Amino acid sequence: MRAILLAGILLGAAMSNGLAAESLLPRGVMKQDGRPAPALRLKDMDGKLFDLAEARGRWVFVHFWASWCGPCRREMPTIQRLIATRGNLPLEVVLVNTAETEDAVFSFLGIAGPDLSTLLDPDGLVTEAWQPRGLPATFLVDPEGRIQYLALGVRTWDSQPYVEFLRRITEPTS
Amino acid sequence: MVKTHIGLLCTTALVVVSFCGPFYLPGQALAQEKTARPEHPALLFRLGPRTPEQIAAFYEARGFPAAAIDALNQTCFITVSMRNKSNKVIWLELKNWRLIAASGEIQRLKRSYWQQLWSHLNVPQANRSTFGWTLLPETRDLQPSEPVGGNITLPPTTEPFTLEARFKTGREKRAGEIILRYDNVRCAGREAKQ
Repeated sequence: MRAILLAGILLGAAMSNGLAAESLLPRGVMKQDGRPAPALRLKDMDGKLFDLAEARGRWVFVHFWASWCGPCRREMPTIQRLIATRGNLPLEVVLVNTAETEDAVFSFLGIAGPDLSTLLDPDGLVTEAWQPRGLPATFLVDPEGRIQYLALGVRTWDSQPYVEFLRRITEPTS
Repeated sequence: MVKTHIGLLCTTALVVVSFCGPFYLPGQALAQEKTARPEHPALLFRLGPRTPEQIAAFYEARGFPAAAIDALNQTCFITVSMRNKSNKVIWLELKNWRLIAASGEIQRLKRSYWQQLWSHLNVPQANRSTFGWTLLPETRDLQPSEPVGGNITLPPTTEPFTLEARFKTGREKRAGEIILRYDNVRCAGREAKQ
C-alpha cells in the first residue's frame, strides 16, 4: 500500500514538473520532439558559408523569413534588439531568407534590420526541407543538433519572457 | 457544435480595402443584432478578395515570369487570415471548405494544379517556392494563439458565392466543430473585366 502511495506521489510530482516546464514556455513557443535538424549549409550575403553541422556544442536560433511577409517585417527588429542586448547568451542567431534575390534582401534588411546579416536560400529548397509551419518561423536547435523548440508566428524576441526563456534553455547544466 | 453565420458586407469598397466587413450573426438569437462583430469567439477569421492588379503587382515584384503572371491574372485570389483564439487545437483542413454558387460548387485550384502549371511553364524554383508560401496550407493543426494566413485560389467568376469553412477542434478532432459561412463573396475586380 505504501509502495503504491509512494509511486502515486512520485508520478504526481513528475507530472507537475512536466506541467511546470510546459507553463514556463513563453507564448507561441512549442516544445518539439528533439528530431535531428535538417541540413543547413548556405552562404550569406558576403558569400561566407555557414554549416549547422559545425555549430555543434552551442544552441542555434534558426529563423526563416521573406521580405514580402508582413509579420517578418514586424519581427525582424526584435531579433536585432535581442542580438544587441543578449549579452553573454550562448546562442548563435542564424537568419535564412527564403527564395529571394540579394537585392530584395538587402533593401529589406536595410530598413527592418540594418545590423543583421542573413543566409540566402536562393531556390527555397532548404527552407522546404525544414518544413516550417509558415513564414516567419523560428527553430531552436540544441547543442547536439536536435530541434527542441518551435516558435509560431511573430514573437517579440527582445521582451523579457523570451529573453528569460532563451537564457534558461541555453544555461549550461552542471 | 458551434455554428456561426457571417454575411459579408462586400461592396465595391473591397477593391481598395483589404478585407470585407463581416457581419456576424451567431444563430437565431442574435439575428437581429446590428453590431458588426468580425470574429468568432474561438477563431479570428478574415477574408480578403484580391484584384488581379494587386496579384500581378505582388508577383511581378518578386520576379515572376510573364507567362506566370498571365496565368495568375486568370485566377481569383482570396486572402485568408486566421488566428486560434481558443485553448484547443483547431484544425484547418481545406478539404472541409466549400465554395457554393447558385450555379453549383466552385472547385478550388489546389497546390497540385499550380505545381503542374509551373512545371509546364518552366517557372523557376525560387518563384515556385515563394508562390507555395503565399498559399494557405491545405492542413494545419492550429495551436492556441497560432496564426495562419495565405491565399486560396479559384477559377475567376462574376457570380457571388458562399464560403463554408468547417473546422474540427481538439487534439483528436473530437471537441466539436466550428462552421463559418460567408455569404455573397465575390472575386475582386472581375466585374469590370468580364
